[in-house]
Amino acid sequence: MSRIDHYINDIIIRGGAEAQEEGSATTEAHHLLLAIAAIEGTAAHRVLTAEDLGRQTIREALDREFEHSLGAVGVSLASFDLPRPSRDPKALPKLGASGRLAIERAIAACKGKKDMRPAHLLLGVLDTEIGTVPRALALSGVDRIALMARARETLTHESW
Amino acid sequence: MPAEDVPVPKDPADALAAVVALRRLADQLEDAAVEQAMRAGWSWPDVAEALGVTRQAVHKKHAKRLIAAGVVLRRRQ
Repeated sequence: MSRIDHYINDIIIRGGAEAQEEGSATTEAHHLLLAIAAIEGTAAHRVLTAEDLGRQTIREALDREFEHSLGAVGVSLASFDLPRPSRDPKALPKLGASGRLAIERAIAACKGKKDMRPAHLLLGVLDTEIGTVPRALALSGVDRIALMARARETLTHESW
Repeated sequence: MPAEDVPVPKDPADALAAVVALRRLADQLEDAAVEQAMRAGWSWPDVAEALGVTRQAVHKKHAKRLIAAGVVLRRRQ
């Protein structure tokens, strides 16, 4: 396997763990974003941390989006005092529709798989105006377009 | 809150995101409620009937994680 294959595999495994932690049966684009923020040593990670978007900050932004979206229909998360359900550590979530779209967009953003780098994966997750990721970033005051521009910039002078 | 006070999102993006969030909340609530019932000694058929699904469906969805967590389950009848 090439370096990018290993990276994508790591992102899908880490994203799956994030999905499981959240109680989601599928790995979605926002779980991939959490994984990109958690795996160090890439331009994608550096772009995020330069904007103070560490894994924890992104998790908090996603939680705010969840509460905000529930609030739009009059549901308050504070009314639910849910005990933490047990998880099956062996059950790995499958890649969900938004996770799949993010990877397809990452592939579309590069010239070919040989050219693909972690920043392309970040671009794949960010390159949409629809869904949880852009909503969570907007609610936290993050300029998604500027973030994408910085990710693209790294591709011109950073090899990984 | 009274029904007339429940806001209706005007932006379709907000309304669609509310659907996603409600599904996620319902899934979390189901996981927690099924575990609570099974720990309290409920049977699979009773939990299934309460949720309005087949016992095969509820067993398939929840048995592995509850067994992994060491919850003592009543035998399926």
